[in-house]
Amino acid sequence: MNAKITRKLRQASQITFFALFMVLFVQAVYLGASPLESDLFYRLDPLIAATAMLAGRTVIAGLLYALINLAAAFVFGRVWCGWVCPMGSVLDWVSPKKVRHGREISGRWRTVKYLAFAVLIAAAGLGNQTGVITDPISILTRTMTTAIWPALRAMVFGLEGFLYQFDFLWPALDVIHANVLLPLFQGIESVFSAAIPIFLMFSVIIALNWAAERFWCRYLCPLGGMLGIFSRRAILRREVSDACTDCGLCARECPTGTIDKAKGYASDPAECIYCYDCAADCPVSAISFPAHAPLRLAQKQAYDPARRDVLWSVAGAVAGVSLLEVETITRREPERMIRPPGATLTDFTKLCMRCGECVRVCPTQGLQPSLLEGGLQNILTPRLVPRLGQCSFTCSACIEVCPTGAIPPITLEEKQHTAIGLASIDQDRCLAWGYDTICSVCEEICPLAEKAIRQEEREVKDLDGNTFTIKLPYVLRELCIGCGACEYHCPAGGEAAIQVKTLPSTEVVIRGI
Amino acid sequence: MSKKKEINRREFLRKVSMAGAGLYLAGCSRQSPVMLPTPIASAKTATAAPGGPQTEIQNSAETTPAYGDVYLSVVRGEDPAAMTMRAIAAIGGIEQFVKNGADVIVKPNICTDYYPYEYGATTNPQVVAAIVQLCLGAGAKRVRVMDNPFSGTALSAYKRSGIEEAVIAAGGEMEVMNNNKFRKNEIPDGLDIREWIFYQDILDADTVINVPIAKQHGTTRLTLGCKNLMGTILNRGQIHANIHQRIADLTSRVRPALTVVDGIRTLMQGGPTGGNLDDVKMSNTIIASADVVAADSQAATLFDLTGTDIGYIPAAAAMRLGTMDLNAIKIEEFSL
Repeated sequence: MNAKITRKLRQASQITFFALFMVLFVQAVYLGASPLESDLFYRLDPLIAATAMLAGRTVIAGLLYALINLAAAFVFGRVWCGWVCPMGSVLDWVSPKKVRHGREISGRWRTVKYLAFAVLIAAAGLGNQTGVITDPISILTRTMTTAIWPALRAMVFGLEGFLYQFDFLWPALDVIHANVLLPLFQGIESVFSAAIPIFLMFSVIIALNWAAERFWCRYLCPLGGMLGIFSRRAILRREVSDACTDCGLCARECPTGTIDKAKGYASDPAECIYCYDCAADCPVSAISFPAHAPLRLAQKQAYDPARRDVLWSVAGAVAGVSLLEVETITRREPERMIRPPGATLTDFTKLCMRCGECVRVCPTQGLQPSLLEGGLQNILTPRLVPRLGQCSFTCSACIEVCPTGAIPPITLEEKQHTAIGLASIDQDRCLAWGYDTICSVCEEICPLAEKAIRQEEREVKDLDGNTFTIKLPYVLRELCIGCGACEYHCPAGGEAAIQVKTLPSTEVVIRGI
Repeated sequence: MSKKKEINRREFLRKVSMAGAGLYLAGCSRQSPVMLPTPIASAKTATAAPGGPQTEIQNSAETTPAYGDVYLSVVRGEDPAAMTMRAIAAIGGIEQFVKNGADVIVKPNICTDYYPYEYGATTNPQVVAAIVQLCLGAGAKRVRVMDNPFSGTALSAYKRSGIEEAVIAAGGEMEVMNNNKFRKNEIPDGLDIREWIFYQDILDADTVINVPIAKQHGTTRLTLGCKNLMGTILNRGQIHANIHQRIADLTSRVRPALTVVDGIRTLMQGGPTGGNLDDVKMSNTIIASADVVAADSQAATLFDLTGTDIGYIPAAAAMRLGTMDLNAIKIEEFSL
């Protein structure tokens, strides 16, 4: 096939997959209304599959689609990176006009992505998943969820709010609001404490493009490293024929900078992303991608990780995981580290990929990516912040969307009976207890049929000495599921006077008597 | 900004009819006159009629409803849609309230997305759909149904309540209340609050039909028609400071043309959110009136209470927004 057409196909593929990513992202919140799986890209991600199954010590059937991706790497090399990965496409599109090729950056940096992969696998073997926050799909999902999409919403709604000042525009604006803005943004009004740090991480990755094209993909991406390892045995590999006139165009064009003039414009199949830029632009059509014998190992490169490098990485992973064991959370769960529903039933931190899907779909946006509330080891894992949004009683969105089962597939009815925390009242700040004020918000709002919050009546006197009856709320521990509806709606200013905290331990262990 | 200052048609008519009714009543009544929002209904201004109660209990199979002079209707039966239609027919028909080409807003109670309507916390979808059908049949240009749930999103609550499906099938629209359309408005007759943030479309609509479900409520004892209007405003929490008077104040500004109380499944306790079918009593009743205060007083009897027991009802009556004296008005009762 003509290389120019193939390049066009590659460009079309990138646009298509990015569009698919965005469609899945938008429709993820339409639970049950779409046949598409919103976690499709995660299912195709072998890094997620490998680390989740290793750390969770389990086989997750839904993640076995990733084998398709690995099989593709055996045939086409890192075609995922060049044709599919939406993060890679963003890096292609958001790059400086005057591309820098990174010749001044040592080729040894390419080793980093392989070692990053080794570290993640070793850590996963030890049951730690902290480093998986560097998976490219999760970076893009997380940034889109917490920063880009909400900021876009704020921008659009800000403009809308301005236009709504003009009464005559209302009929037109109503149509746009109902048919465009609501379907796109739903009723979700996002706020995230982690939005800015997450956006900064993404910005740094984009900014590195100014140091070298696709800097992230070349040097850092652990998924790129993983696919690179498999691509070293790829069947289709780039070749340069004798027709080459030594013009050097391909070496200048290559987005991963793997074409080496010194080696007769040869490239490393573990670095090539099959973008076809070189072949399409070669003035003498000297470049092709013929089939080689399967499983034949590519030529060794100076930056291929040596056995010693890998061992050091494993040692580094062991040291890192050990260091994280020193964090206080390993002894005492913080009182405000409330996990999504059902998470108490699983080995949550081992299975959770920090992928952000649950955060994306949470209709109240009470689920937040944590920063350091649960220690560095739990960074970007979801936690419920009831003051920002309750766990909606009739919603099981996070349960349905979790790709690894860290939030287990329990039914809505089971969810409604699974405690994730326990509410407690600060009587000094409660309007009823502390200030003799009539307020029944928490009792009213409690979604449980039996009401986990009940009230006792008490006679009190006002300033004039008249007696009146107020109702004082109290929590029934046996019923409360910790959804946080009371905390969210509590009219106390700032922090709520009723707060959900980590579940009390149910067993009392007496040792050494 | 022009929206605030203009005297809209309804206000104009109200003022004119108030003056007219006032002149009319000045000579013949010892009791304060009640001013109803629609010009048609204001002609039937309630006064303590000489000769005591006029309640007539009729059997629908034998009597055709007398249109036009009935102040409040009570229909009992099994078919919510038919009961709704009959109740509205009895007080003069939907044409009294909905003119050809009117922009109509129906305000049911869709308080949360916790439970489906069988749990008695949200208005019966068939009642809402029947009203939508009637309005469209009367030539309404547009019939929108909306509420502002206090827990869960509007989208999820509309679905959960079954109202969305029924309304769309009936040809109406569900509108998710848009924050941009809430505006500060004066409450000229308010006693405690003189301004509040209302959903502007509800104040501007040609006809507002209030369709509360009658249910127990922790703070106000019962949620009925006046209380249902809390769904038309922002900052609901601040209403609680003086809830009964403030609800009456809100009612004085919104003035629904027609109130249809869903008393089919009444939540006797565990309100306003419910969740326990044992708390739901099949009362199988629909109450309709142009007078929200009268409708609320009648609905209170479903709970063996009277209007005087529910703070905002006397408060609204004192503001002459309607009458709570059920003996003074013509009530027709039907069984279907």
